[in-house]
Amino acid sequence: MIKMSNVIKRFGEQTVLSDVSFEAKEKEIFGMLGPSGAGKTTIINILTNQLKADGGSHKIGVAPFETGLMLDEDGLYPRLNCLENLNVFAGIYGISHQKSLQALKSVGLEDAMKKAVNALSRGMRQRLALARAILHEPKVLFLDEPTSGLDPGTARGIHQLILRLRENGSTVFLTTHNMDEAVKLCDRIVLLHKGKIVEQGAPTEICERHNAIKTVPDLEAVFIEMTGVTLQ
Amino acid sequence: MRTIRAIFIKQARDTLKNRMTLVQFIIFPVMSFIMTTLVAKPAEDTPDSIFVTMFAAMFAGMTPLMMTNSAIAEDKEHKSLRFLVMAGVKPSQYLLGIGGFVLLSCSFVAVVFGLIGEFSGLELVKFVFILILGSVASVVIGATVGIFSKNQQAATAIGTPVFMILAFLPMLSIFNDTIRDIANPLYTQQVRMIVNESDMSITTEPLLIILANIAVAFILFVLAYKKRGLKA
Ligand SMILES: Nc1ncnc2c1ncn2[C@@H]1O[C@H](COP(=O)(O)OP(=O)(O)OP(=O)(O)O)[C@@H](O)[C@H]1O
Ligand SMILES: [Mg+2]
Repeated sequence: MIKMSNVIKRFGEQTVLSDVSFEAKEKEIFGMLGPSGAGKTTIINILTNQLKADGGSHKIGVAPFETGLMLDEDGLYPRLNCLENLNVFAGIYGISHQKSLQALKSVGLEDAMKKAVNALSRGMRQRLALARAILHEPKVLFLDEPTSGLDPGTARGIHQLILRLRENGSTVFLTTHNMDEAVKLCDRIVLLHKGKIVEQGAPTEICERHNAIKTVPDLEAVFIEMTGVTLQ
Repeated sequence: MRTIRAIFIKQARDTLKNRMTLVQFIIFPVMSFIMTTLVAKPAEDTPDSIFVTMFAAMFAGMTPLMMTNSAIAEDKEHKSLRFLVMAGVKPSQYLLGIGGFVLLSCSFVAVVFGLIGEFSGLELVKFVFILILGSVASVVIGATVGIFSKNQQAATAIGTPVFMILAFLPMLSIFNDTIRDIANPLYTQQVRMIVNESDMSITTEPLLIILANIAVAFILFVLAYKKRGLKA
């Protein structure tokens, strides 16, 4: 569904991605795990054609309008309220405003729908950005650190939503530097370090391979073994 | 069409909630009203509508330009434009949505000016027509500046000198013949001269100059667009 082959990306002198290859299959949650600066956002930007790669190829199996996107910048209209923000996109996609309400409900923002984005907390903004991403029921969803900076309760809510989206047939591509999140959510992951993929596979499988299952699969241990640094 | 409509509505909602831009709409008609009712005419032979035509000409030169410019720059700054592009919005649709709203609201204000000036019949039609024509040029120039601006700060920095030339040269030309010759090819000068004529006769030459302004502005816009696109 989502495929990258031998992708290279440079910013000036710095090589940010070197020879990155992976494939995310249909209807799976595919995770990209790596510390800050590893190149996760850059990969999403290349996949969604916001950036051009300097080498290699990449492909998404659906048309651009069938993808949903949540980036590290929310891009919301600050003076419009939650509902109005979503309705802009409902109008563009040609879907009913009822869907905007539904999307707000699914992220638990129905009580705040008349609140201006200006007046939302960080977590609320993030949930609204997620609501916008899922508004048109996209087949492929890109989520760049969907739970970073959120309290555990809100994060759990978002986890449940992501699992529900997979159930409904979406393919989810997410980035995170939280290994618990990766173990809990992802069918398969890649570990990314300084623009290189150091491991990939199902989380438990990776941990077994590295003898890193104590009580639970310990991806952090694998990451330290492979790179000598911690994830956080 | 539904995309243009969605962006038009977004811009309308946003403008109504943005006090700073609302001021730009209201200040000129209000000033002209106050001056017309309260201030004594500079001389016996000046027409009653002197302040109305003065402020209306300034309005047509400034407000559409600054509004279009800052709307585009703000969408870039907040990265909301990215999400529109990812939702499949074409640049032309985006610009028509934003520019269309600005133009419509400026047309409305043009009528308000006409009523304050107590024009009626053909006079009113000509007055409003010429202001709208000037506003078209302003919108296209504003969009060109918006394309070159990364954020709102840059938009003001680039927009202000452009606006100063367009607005102040015609005003200064009242006092100085050389400046009048320089200002002559500017649509703002032509708009000012036409609305100041007692019968507001629209002769071929000024009309051609204004149309030429629109054509030049449009070419600049296309060039700017080819060079910069709507990239943030
Ligand atoms: N526009 C740019 N110009 C120059 N360098 C860039 C640019 N964007 C990213 N980089 C560099 O590329 C590297 C990877 O950045 P990227 O944003 O992909 O990391 P990330 O894995 O998403 O990190 P984080 O977890 O902090 O979001 C970083 O070293 C960053 O400095
Ligand atoms: Mg990132």
